[in-house]
Amino acid sequence: MSRAIPWAYLALMFGFIYLPVGALVLFSFQDGTLPVPPFEGPSLRWYADVLGDEDLTAALLNSLLVAVGSSAVAVTLGFLAAYGLARFVLPGAALLRALLIAPMTVSYLIVGLGLLIVIQRIGLPLSLLTAGIGHAVINLPLAFAIIYASMGGQQQNAERAARDLGAGEIAVLRLVTVPMLAPAILAAFFLSVTLSWDEFIVAFLLTRFDVTLPVEIWSMLRSGLSPRLNAIGSVVFLISVAAVVLAELLVFRRRR
Amino acid sequence: MILRTILGGTALACIAGAGAAQELNALVWCDHTDDALIEPFEQEHGVTVNLREYEGTGAALALLDQSRPGDWDVMVIDGIDVFRAVEAGYLAELPVDELPTGDFFPEVVMEANNVVDGKTYAVTEKFGYNTISFNSDKVDPADMDDLAAVWSEKYDGRLSIYDYYLPVMGLAAIAEGIPTAEIGADNLETIGGTLSDMRARAASVAGVVAAQTALATGEVDIVVGGGEWLTAVLAEERPELTWTIPEQGAVRWAQSIGVVEGSENPDLALEFVKYIVSPEGQARLATSSCFWGMPANARAGEILTDEQKAVLRWDDQPDYLSRTQLYPAPDADLDIEMQDLWLETLQQ
Amino acid sequence: MTGTRAGWGFVAPALIWTLAFFVLPFAVMGAMSLATLDGRTLVWGLSLSNYAELAEKAYLWRAVVVSLEITLTVTALSVLLAYPLAWIIAYRVPERWQRLALLLAILPFWTSYVVRSYAWLLVLSREGVVNQALIGLGLTAEPVTLANTRLATVTGFVHFFVMLLTLTIYANLRQLSPNYRRAAMDLGANAVQTFRHVILPLTLPGIVTGAFLTFVLCIGDYITPQILGGNTELTVPQVIMVQLGRRADFPLASALALVLMALVTLAYLAGARWLRVDRL
Repeated sequence: MSRAIPWAYLALMFGFIYLPVGALVLFSFQDGTLPVPPFEGPSLRWYADVLGDEDLTAALLNSLLVAVGSSAVAVTLGFLAAYGLARFVLPGAALLRALLIAPMTVSYLIVGLGLLIVIQRIGLPLSLLTAGIGHAVINLPLAFAIIYASMGGQQQNAERAARDLGAGEIAVLRLVTVPMLAPAILAAFFLSVTLSWDEFIVAFLLTRFDVTLPVEIWSMLRSGLSPRLNAIGSVVFLISVAAVVLAELLVFRRRR
Repeated sequence: MILRTILGGTALACIAGAGAAQELNALVWCDHTDDALIEPFEQEHGVTVNLREYEGTGAALALLDQSRPGDWDVMVIDGIDVFRAVEAGYLAELPVDELPTGDFFPEVVMEANNVVDGKTYAVTEKFGYNTISFNSDKVDPADMDDLAAVWSEKYDGRLSIYDYYLPVMGLAAIAEGIPTAEIGADNLETIGGTLSDMRARAASVAGVVAAQTALATGEVDIVVGGGEWLTAVLAEERPELTWTIPEQGAVRWAQSIGVVEGSENPDLALEFVKYIVSPEGQARLATSSCFWGMPANARAGEILTDEQKAVLRWDDQPDYLSRTQLYPAPDADLDIEMQDLWLETLQQ
Repeated sequence: MTGTRAGWGFVAPALIWTLAFFVLPFAVMGAMSLATLDGRTLVWGLSLSNYAELAEKAYLWRAVVVSLEITLTVTALSVLLAYPLAWIIAYRVPERWQRLALLLAILPFWTSYVVRSYAWLLVLSREGVVNQALIGLGLTAEPVTLANTRLATVTGFVHFFVMLLTLTIYANLRQLSPNYRRAAMDLGANAVQTFRHVILPLTLPGIVTGAFLTFVLCIGDYITPQILGGNTELTVPQVIMVQLGRRADFPLASALALVLMALVTLAYLAGARWLRVDRL
């Protein structure tokens, strides 16, 4: 009896975790115009509707662009800073680390609001670029923390050996450090992309005409109840899960 | 590799930014983002219309404050707030003789709102009602004709309030016999009392989707502040979800459109306004995907189908127009007081 | 020493980025919170009127209370639900299935965040799955109102954070050498004692870090309470968005954001002993 308890708990929690996803996907196949019981269907009409919607597909590409661009910036800056702090003795290093980590302890809303105020004061137009800057601010601490944590002694020895063999600083970085840290760099990049891809409030505050997918979905959500929301939600879920599984197979499997 | 990605990313962003030859930047409500409405204009004139949705007039004006002259060409604005945009100098004068206001429903030409000092700055494009939406299978339709009965004991916990302070406070005023135009600091207390009663009966205060979900799933049977824009999209499948205008009357909303002062494409901007108020544009706007509403131009009736007109209740308009009052139009100070009272009541 | 200069060279880009796009905006927001609005004109100054308003207007300070209540409930519930789940996956599920079980437990994390809240709205509605199950089990005759309540907001949040915490707590548990458990058992400790005196203290930093992250993300979230909460009570982010969206009152919004920040700082200090933010 008591042996069964953990398994029952596991089943219960999995039920809880999959409850909204299940309902979401089920009613994306609704044949009627309302995503509420009773279920009629199955029908693919809402998928056709959503995939034929140019605004949504444009938003999807925008999201991808912002996610990849901002993550590239965050990971590059995070890597360089991690390298600088791990390999050189700098005065006030602890303070520097704290400063770089700080944005992680601040709500996204605050980061977005602060940037919005500054951008408006300067008179810069809001665009995907400003949203990307916001996302890079959010993701930089994460990228830095992940890469910094994985900078150990063994790479340092390899770097030293390379330097002794006459490699310049850039060559050491490019040929030794980056390849050795590839798993951590990729993990940081992947996590950044995931967070940026689904981030709402910063993107909402910092975009104007071209918006990212979560913002587009939010406008859909404000404009009326429809199984289209379920369909686009299911499509996004499918894309994300495919990416996660791919990453799991390609990147993280190898790390063990 | 990473560097290349960044460079690639910025290059792409630049290309995306460059775009087509002529562009029109429009500050709009969500009903204007329907491709069926915008694309015919884009194709006819070979231009791109960039649309930015906004929530409240305050936010739109702040956006204009922070923009450079020429950033915006066209603006959709709450009919009652036209004067605020004119005061701030953001709307350009429209050539009134080029606009088909003669074809409009006379009540919605709204010169008192759209004309300032003899100059026309905006033109009404769409209107409708904030009134009582309900489920006719679950409530007694006769009760819905009396506002006091709507938030009576009988429907405790079965109603939802639409999440926008102006129309709902307007309804509260109407229930108390206060004309919406006379809402002021001295009668806010009375309105607050009614609002409080309403809030005490309400299960939720809901935005569009939440209100529709609540109605469609039977969570609530009444939405105070609802109307055709809320239930029209549900009507096809749930004919029992309907709306009415009670004896005391209800609130009428109206949205206007105008050309932004300093526009770099004033001619194209005017063309866009003319398109929107033309019978074709009006029919598309009335049935746009975000929300339906009555077109200001009565000649849109020649294009709308009979089914569409039935949903819009075309034939009832003379009666409705005569029994409804315009949204409350508070000045800046009263507006803040009303918002505070509203938020205070929600947070009770 | 040239090494130091080179080191600064590596750190500089990230440092400049953080200063320009995080520290500077933060400072401007601080200044903004001391400014006032005269009509629509912004008047810079050193006025505390926005903070005074917070104390005077009940709906503003009520929002702080509501936010805190919701966030603390969510944080506590999420930890209590996630810990056993992570434990079972780490110690009961056979080794070769663990990664899969963990992946499955966090997969819905990748549903669009806006859509996830909306999905809960459907699930919790009167005709939704939960009510049908309750009626089916004979627990209630009439459907219960679940959507558009604080319960719904909490449910939506807990769902998200259970996934997040399961991941962090699992990682923590896996880092523990099994020798600790064996040693404790060998010394005669029973399962409960082993947990209380050995496992719990060792995993506390991980739990606190995860809980802090939950606190930060939860208290600053706008979407979940806005979609699920029914607007009958408003959280701080909701009130901030009202100030921005309807009034464009940036000074008051900035003051509210700084209050939010102060709450996060308090939470940080409360957990500082165990927090390992730089080692997530």
